[in-house]
Amino acid sequence: MSDDHGSVSGGTPHPGDHAHGGPDHVPHVTPLPIYFKTFGALVFLTLLTIGVSRVNLGHATNLAIAIIIATTKAATVAAMFMHLYADHRFHTAIFASSLVFLLVFVSFTMFDTEFRGKFGAIDGTRVTNIQDPFNKIPPPAPSASAAPAAGAAEKK
Amino acid sequence: MATTEPEALSPDFHVGHHWDKADTQFDAGRMGIWIFLVTEILFFGGLFCAFFIFQSWYFDSFVEAHNQLDWRLGGLNTIVLITSSLTMALAVRAAQTNDRKRTIQMLAITIACAAAFLVIKYTEYHHKIEEGLLPGANFTAVGFHSANPKVFFSIYFMMTGIHGLHVVIGMGLIMWILLRAAKGEFSSRYYAPVEGVGLYWHLVDLVWIYLFPLLYLVG
Repeated sequence: MSDDHGSVSGGTPHPGDHAHGGPDHVPHVTPLPIYFKTFGALVFLTLLTIGVSRVNLGHATNLAIAIIIATTKAATVAAMFMHLYADHRFHTAIFASSLVFLLVFVSFTMFDTEFRGKFGAIDGTRVTNIQDPFNKIPPPAPSASAAPAAGAAEKK
Repeated sequence: MATTEPEALSPDFHVGHHWDKADTQFDAGRMGIWIFLVTEILFFGGLFCAFFIFQSWYFDSFVEAHNQLDWRLGGLNTIVLITSSLTMALAVRAAQTNDRKRTIQMLAITIACAAAFLVIKYTEYHHKIEEGLLPGANFTAVGFHSANPKVFFSIYFMMTGIHGLHVVIGMGLIMWILLRAAKGEFSSRYYAPVEGVGLYWHLVDLVWIYLFPLLYLVG
């Protein structure tokens, strides 16, 4: 790792100099057996996920197992075939950041869609009983706020 | 590598004058590909988000409708795509080790696997269209107990269709790389386009790795 900027365009490559930083890019070559073992692992996990899905463990369990196996396969592909295992850690961080934002995207959207129409009585824009928002029975209205609550009900 | 003079490899290759060294140029290109892959993941993420929402809303329909898919064909396609990912990785390795003939062979097998994937996908689509298992308003199949199997097929055709489009684009890109490899453009000092197309191709495989269990196995 030298800061020999001057040698880039005109310099001669040093034979046997496999350290990074020379005028030539020297690839990191993964040994062949590693590629074949990776392929074997991916085929095994594919057969495993098919096999597990034939057993009824309840939908949530089956879904969780399928996603865990798929994520294991995806991590294997990213690490070995996409060379993240030998690449700059920053590239792994870029990849991981997309998964973090994907999780935010899906989960925050489903915070909405999962609970539509499941709240209790709504007064204006608020659930009337914030202590028990999923209970459809409104709380006994205190006499002081009875008038505005009645007004909100009329608007519907 | 000891027998080949470095100057004979990728004769047209040069390091841009604004890079301090060849590695920086190579890494910048690869980082650019990774950022592109992030946009692809978020693009497919929108579809996966829709899948999970509708699966939750129309749970019974999804479970019933997914049984119409043939997990054998889907599993076969998974193996085909994983094989193509292996041959793509081997093509990159062959380019890294200056083996032009092997690079071309491996890229050709990768294209063949992609074509096989599309043929299998075509037979699946053909069967669905025959049965009237179509998206939304076009859904004409009868005999379902659940109310909204058409929603499942909207999601199914959109997700597998856009994934299939990526496979078609990937075939074009791999063919482009194959022709450039045949001209002797790639070597251990310059194989960035092979690596970049390879990363894209692995991402297409990666998306299918999730599509297969979600659509075919669990529903």
